[in-house]
Amino acid sequence: MSMGVGIGRREITGMVVGAVVLALLPMVVQDSYYRHLLIMVFIYGIVASSWDLSLGYAGIFNFGHMALFGIGLYTYGLATTLLGISPWIALLAGGVLAALAAALISLPILRLKGIYVVLVTFAFGQLVVQLIISQSDYTGGNQGLVRIPSFHIPGHNLMRDHKLGFYYIALILLCCSTVFLRLMVRSRLGLAIRALRDNEEYATSRGISISRQRLITMAGSAVFTGLAGAFYGAYFRNASTDVFGASLTTLLLSMVLLGGISTIYGSLLAALLLTIFSEMIAGLGAWRPIVIGVLIILVMLAYPGGLYGAIAAAARALRRLGRRQASP
Amino acid sequence: MSTIVDIVMSGLFQGSLYAMIAVGLALVWTTIGVFNFAHGVLMTVGAYIAWQLASSDALGLPIFIALPIALLASAAIGLLMQAAIVRPFIGRPDVVLLAVITTLAAASIFENGTLLIWGPRPMQLPPLAAGTVKIMGIGISAHQLIIILVTPVILAALWFFLTRMRLGLALRAVAQNEDACHLVGLNVAALYGLAFGLAAALAGLAGIFLGGFTFMSPTMGSEPLSKALVVVIFGGLGTIAGPIFAAYIIAFFEAISIYFIGFYWTPALLFAVLILTLMLKPEGLFSRRSRSLA
Repeated sequence: MSMGVGIGRREITGMVVGAVVLALLPMVVQDSYYRHLLIMVFIYGIVASSWDLSLGYAGIFNFGHMALFGIGLYTYGLATTLLGISPWIALLAGGVLAALAAALISLPILRLKGIYVVLVTFAFGQLVVQLIISQSDYTGGNQGLVRIPSFHIPGHNLMRDHKLGFYYIALILLCCSTVFLRLMVRSRLGLAIRALRDNEEYATSRGISISRQRLITMAGSAVFTGLAGAFYGAYFRNASTDVFGASLTTLLLSMVLLGGISTIYGSLLAALLLTIFSEMIAGLGAWRPIVIGVLIILVMLAYPGGLYGAIAAAARALRRLGRRQASP
Repeated sequence: MSTIVDIVMSGLFQGSLYAMIAVGLALVWTTIGVFNFAHGVLMTVGAYIAWQLASSDALGLPIFIALPIALLASAAIGLLMQAAIVRPFIGRPDVVLLAVITTLAAASIFENGTLLIWGPRPMQLPPLAAGTVKIMGIGISAHQLIIILVTPVILAALWFFLTRMRLGLALRAVAQNEDACHLVGLNVAALYGLAFGLAAALAGLAGIFLGGFTFMSPTMGSEPLSKALVVVIFGGLGTIAGPIFAAYIIAFFEAISIYFIGFYWTPALLFAVLILTLMLKPEGLFSRRSRSLA
């Protein structure tokens, strides 16, 4: 397969600058709470931008995405606690297992459309939760897994470095994930999945295989989601079925949609804004999901195209205003 | 012998609950063309309102007075929900996706609202009737028996409403051709509200049935909703009859599987059967590829 359109030089420069700024940031941000916030931004950014690949670019109504995150998390937790596998290998296993699970869900949805894809993927997520709860001898059931072993770096203590180590691991994951996703959407495959989304009949008549592209897309969107899930387990050192819940799903989904679908970078920006907002109101307890839910509904009512659509609309309005002033 | 009675009773009871929930989902899908992910929390809200009215710790009304009030309240909540978060998107090409998001957000709002109002402590509704009844050597609670007997009556009444009464026919007409309904002067917006309100009342009733049988919690609606999802995928969303048959089939499948294979692996087996069904017959077992009703 040839390269497709590839990533432009300006974008590469932007990526490098962004990565360098984020790599230097801990020198300014010394406080471990703010570093924790940034780590959460990175994790959610990986998950949301990966979701954008399947939901936004490919137009697959995949609502089982958080289950892939949960699979990564529980793979890591079970592999390290039960099997005693090295945390670094367990991290990779989280990505691999999530990709396999995504390939498994793509089988039934290959022939489905619209709402049925939503239902099957959603039901898949529910199934994973039920399996985890029912196998409570291994998974801890509703109580979850606790005291999961974390990463070990020789000669360095990850617990006493004000989260510096975790910050860099999460940043590396985010950089790899973003480069991977951008390469994917700018490749021939990325063009093919957009063609399928926009005009399925025409695309298939031009020889694009819908089943193969969907399978690759789903697996591709799962790899870093699973890795992020495994990292989440190593970072918090526990795993619970909360990650499958409606609250987190709604939060992540709103990152994808508020960021504007089919942008990758939009999801990252939305992850930054929403994670910080969500942490700012963490003291509200059960009011927090209510506030976020109301906010999502209000944004959807006002700007069904997401924040990205709102910014684009504002830019258009500004340009119109500028033109009107230019022509007397 | 007693094993068979056990399985049959369990299948009929669970099937009744699944059918009651799935029919509401299908009703909303066929008329409005959106899928309501807040259907599960409407169950929860209905059950908690009934608790507030009927429990001896709260108002302490008799359950047969509390029930209709709770159902009306559920219907009103459904109606408002439709007007606030579904109606504004009707007519947009991406209405299905937008409605998934807004109803998921509403589910999160209601679930946490229930938690704030009534707390996380599990509670129980008074049953519809006290005591147990013996059927062929197997004891079954009167509450369960009432549900098994009453559900087919309610579903038959719904069928009668949709196929024999003017208002029900109007609902089916909206499902088939919205433009033509505008032309003949039907109030389409009101019919949308009616479909959603009716579905919410059915969900509330299912919640009350469930709340008198097991403990209630703010998340009690999520497991039945996921079962109802399997039911509507299996039976197809395009008809009302499809999900009803599918509900009883799946409940019996579950009852048999739980008995022979065990409680833990039944969800996985059910899902495997579901995937297989979808690969062979993607539009569901009883569905023609359409959005018509009944």
